[in-house]
Amino acid sequence: MNLALVVQLIIGGFLMGGVYSLIALGLSLIFGVLRVINFAHGEMMIWGMYIAYTILLLTGIDPFFSLVISAGALFILGYMVQRIVVNRIIEFPEAMQVIAMIGTALIFENGARLIWGPDYRSPASRFALSSIWIGKIMIDFPRLLAFLIAILIAALVFLFLKYTDTGKAIRSSADNRLGALLVGTDVDRVYAICFGIGTACVGAAGALLVPLMPLSPHIGPPFTMVSFIIVILGGMGSLIGAVVGGLIVGVAESVATIFLPSSLKQIVSFSLMVAILLLKPKGLFGR
Amino acid sequence: MRREINRRTFLKYSAAVGVTTGLSGFPTVLRSQPKEILIGSIQPVTGVIADVGIGDRRANQLAVDEINAKGGIKSLGGAKLKLLLADCEAKEEVGRSEAERLIKEGAVCLTGPFLSGVAIAIGTLCEARGIPFVIDVAAADAVTQKGFKYTFRCFPTSSTLIRNIGEYLGQIVKEKKVNIKRIAVTNAGDLFGRLQGKAFVDFVKAKKLSFDAEIVEHIEYPLGVQDLSSEVAKIKAAKPDILCPVARPGDAKLLIRELYKQRVELLGIVGPGSPGWYEPEFIKDMGLLADFVMDNAPWPNPRSPKYKEINERFAKLYPGKYLDGNSGYGYLAVMVIADALERAKSTNPDGLVEALRKANYKDNPMVGGPVQFTPNGDNANAATALLQVLKGDVKVMLPKEYAEASYVFPQPPLWKRGT
Repeated sequence: MNLALVVQLIIGGFLMGGVYSLIALGLSLIFGVLRVINFAHGEMMIWGMYIAYTILLLTGIDPFFSLVISAGALFILGYMVQRIVVNRIIEFPEAMQVIAMIGTALIFENGARLIWGPDYRSPASRFALSSIWIGKIMIDFPRLLAFLIAILIAALVFLFLKYTDTGKAIRSSADNRLGALLVGTDVDRVYAICFGIGTACVGAAGALLVPLMPLSPHIGPPFTMVSFIIVILGGMGSLIGAVVGGLIVGVAESVATIFLPSSLKQIVSFSLMVAILLLKPKGLFGR
Repeated sequence: MRREINRRTFLKYSAAVGVTTGLSGFPTVLRSQPKEILIGSIQPVTGVIADVGIGDRRANQLAVDEINAKGGIKSLGGAKLKLLLADCEAKEEVGRSEAERLIKEGAVCLTGPFLSGVAIAIGTLCEARGIPFVIDVAAADAVTQKGFKYTFRCFPTSSTLIRNIGEYLGQIVKEKKVNIKRIAVTNAGDLFGRLQGKAFVDFVKAKKLSFDAEIVEHIEYPLGVQDLSSEVAKIKAAKPDILCPVARPGDAKLLIRELYKQRVELLGIVGPGSPGWYEPEFIKDMGLLADFVMDNAPWPNPRSPKYKEINERFAKLYPGKYLDGNSGYGYLAVMVIADALERAKSTNPDGLVEALRKANYKDNPMVGGPVQFTPNGDNANAATALLQVLKGDVKVMLPKEYAEASYVFPQPPLWKRGT
């Protein structure tokens, strides 16, 4: 076996895993606090991508900078979705929540199709084609940058939850909703902010992906799926689990192409999920 | 209780009456015109291949509008055509149920559906319902090998595509005196992608090329893939001379950027026949990287005045777009249906099928001869052209009788073109 190829695949997968982590972080945060699975996660990411894409087209600002705007816009969008949809279904059985969330996903996907059209777009950005060479190993520069920014954002979210008052309110609402209500926390508002932060993470991740892959309104569902796997792997609601799980899935899918046909590489991540559910149902970092 | 009619209720009712009359119009006036002929267009306008599906639907409509502008079907008293729209979402089962709906709504003939798997699903249904189905695009051989009596296909088959790419590759090797020994093949994992990829691999393995070459890597990835970095790393490790990708618009872009980033040395990228390499978005977004890519594809005949005329109309309606191999056939299929209706002088399905069997549609804007159907429903004269992107334009390079320019081979490395 070709050693350079293996190293190349591990690096590529690891860097991609960083972005996966950020996507899954949003999903895990929302689930951990609201106990609602955001099935519109991937579709919301598409909006983050398209916002960064539109800014790139109109102003030439690179997605690596405009991700702040993508994240901000998605925060507002997430906040509104929580207030309009999620808040009304939060006490419902899971099966009913799923229906509402899938409906939201359809609205996001087809809304994007109406606004931006169905074509695959891959705008030329400054860094899209740059790479760094270490001997025979290529490090994809946009991917490296995406990885670093994703990890940075994840760290910021951790710090926010740990040290700010809002962060503490979010954690207390997650731990004990009734208790939080009793001490006078505006739980609805906390939930909306938390949902907003979750979608802002995925919005930022979307912007990071613009230089890496062609965007089209329908590419969301695989990302919802992969973040779902990651969250189960890392432990439902565990943020550190989402980050570690993302890196594991990224590397596993990439390395899998050595011995599996590419079209079957998702088998690896799904098998990981099944194995974890059998052996450690709460996930690697679940409580 | 007595109901009084005050001013408000009066206004409400009179408004309602007004609206209903306005909407229903005056039926007597309508009845004097010949009945509209309904044609069902089933395309994948949402889902993973929505871009191509919408292009095909627009081309179907372009042809309908042309027929109507020229006075409809003359042998049926100038009856106008109307396109009933359906979306198969790139799924077989949806294609079938949508076809069922269109037939119930009165479609006399169906067209579509770009994806071969969907074409088989619709063809099976049309056989049961006795409704003619004129496929615009769908290449897998299997579509017309099921013994269907009501299915006709305007598009070339996979085996035509494979045979032609074999000839074109032979011609390139001979004319440019290059050595192509190692070939890498990639394909998307949908029905057409898989069959086309495998057919090309089998073709090379059976030594049917005019020169000696082997397959050093064959990679399949799912339709709608988001990341091809590991696949390209594998291609690079196999050290191929040329890459023959069967792609779709999304993965074509991923592929070429990865080839650039990983510095994969190739004499050329030569598609055995697939979309992805000739759409305006590909050329616009990829810029210099799009140049010199070759693809073997059904394509409009650049020397046909008919093509120039319809392409002008198409580009005016949809700025930034042009008719390509897929939308070109979308237009052609409806023209073939209209021609058959004209000759059948009725919308009776069996009469229409009879007329389609005898079709000899000469006004073909595509590369290839007049549309005539073989007994199993294939277009006997469908052909392909070898295309190359040069300075951001798709040019027909081979066969020579249609050529717009002469091709460049070997292709300059992707990373030595500036940005």
